[in-house]
Amino acid sequence: MINLEVKIPDTPGSLIELIRPISKYGGNIYGILHFHDRKLNNMIPVNISFELSEEVQEVSLQNIKKELKEKNIQIENINYGIEKNLITIILTGHVFDTDVMDTIKRLASKNINVLELQAKFTELEEVSNVKLRIEFPEDMNKKELNNELRKICEEKKLFLITS
Amino acid sequence: MNVKICLIGKGIVGTSFLQLLNEKKQFFKQRFNLEFIVNSIFEIDGALINEKGIDLKEILDVGDDFRNLPYWRRDVKAVDLISKLGVDICIETTPTNPNTGEPGLSHIIEALNNHIDVISSNKGPFYLEYNKIKKLAEQNKCYVKYEATVASCVPSLRIKEALIGNEILSIKAILNGTSNYILSRMTAEGVNFPLALKEAQELGYAESDPTLDINGYDAAGKLVILANELLGWSKSINDVKVEGISKITPHAIELAKPDGFVIKHLAMAEKDELSVEPRLIDKYSPLNISGNLNVVKLETKYAGPIILMGRGAGGFEAASAIINDLIDITRKKGYSP
Repeated sequence: MINLEVKIPDTPGSLIELIRPISKYGGNIYGILHFHDRKLNNMIPVNISFELSEEVQEVSLQNIKKELKEKNIQIENINYGIEKNLITIILTGHVFDTDVMDTIKRLASKNINVLELQAKFTELEEVSNVKLRIEFPEDMNKKELNNELRKICEEKKLFLITS
Repeated sequence: MNVKICLIGKGIVGTSFLQLLNEKKQFFKQRFNLEFIVNSIFEIDGALINEKGIDLKEILDVGDDFRNLPYWRRDVKAVDLISKLGVDICIETTPTNPNTGEPGLSHIIEALNNHIDVISSNKGPFYLEYNKIKKLAEQNKCYVKYEATVASCVPSLRIKEALIGNEILSIKAILNGTSNYILSRMTAEGVNFPLALKEAQELGYAESDPTLDINGYDAAGKLVILANELLGWSKSINDVKVEGISKITPHAIELAKPDGFVIKHLAMAEKDELSVEPRLIDKYSPLNISGNLNVVKLETKYAGPIILMGRGAGGFEAASAIINDLIDITRKKGYSP
């Protein structure tokens, strides 16, 4: 999670000018605090929190900073919050027929928690596709996580795609 | 300075190489003071041999009727004759045999054993017997160049010299244009895998037997060559964990989209491990390329990510990489400035 502290002019549309580059470079905005009561010299402090995908974080952040500077938006501070270990995976196969609750419980027994589940399938007999957003412990690395996921997928003949 | 060459394999790449060599005759003379003399061209069933040099224009003009030329010799094999032709450089462009590397491997070994430098577009020998070839080249003080084996004319191997002040830590790449084309079409149009494959075959982006491409084996072989060359590893294709793309569904691709992901067939070398598998990547990632292009992302110690991208296959693409290697060898040998 990235927390940006900026000052923007108290003029119509200035908040949009702040949000635009963040959205343009893939930022997923979690919250905006707009401190109108702390206005000074027509400048308003704003805190904006957003997430960038790890793979593009460095480049995207550089681009965001560059565009904000071009718009004369002062960056006061950048904080990198504590990052949860999060990963998205997609399973293809008979996910429900092979007892999806069992899959979730087995992962939970290793402290790998399923936060969200989304599924797509057409006919009952056909394979289903399930997206899981997963949180895993800080002391577990991605290789260990992948090993746990693959163990279950091999057993249940599920095709795994990880991020 | 005259440099004598034998060419083994007169397929798409071999013929394109001859065409470029012919077109660039004046350029080589003026820029490098070099004249390349092709004195032999080997095919599976014989060879064109003219010790004074083959007329490249004549070869290109006759096309597939080259076996009617007076200096065609039937039933001779490259492996028997390489050592007897007085060549300086052997150019090996025969098709890859993914299981044995033959006959290309034998051609390369025979050339090196006879102190003949080698240039190859045939990747099989290099992902099966990389160490053997490198050792033999070192023992016989020969050069072995194979830029065309990975991503064609994209300089993904010679980049190592350009990054000598840096350190390459890991590699992520898309190395197979066929599988990338198929996934691009599935993503753009929502079609299923069989339909996307059929379209790729009709357009010539996939072979009639696309197994090596769609199951990841072709990318795996190229990844081995990249990892050995750029990271200094000693791996073979058996060390790669490989997963193909045939089980990817349109629904899986749809599920990935709202979170800003696309599904790509990634070849990865990191932390001493090699894998080729479908992965979710950020849609803004430079690895998210469309169509049948290749891309190589090198993570470096002092400069972060460095990206190379371009057409990964094609006759002239591979031939231009061979020409690059040719000039490189002549410079290293002192034949040219």
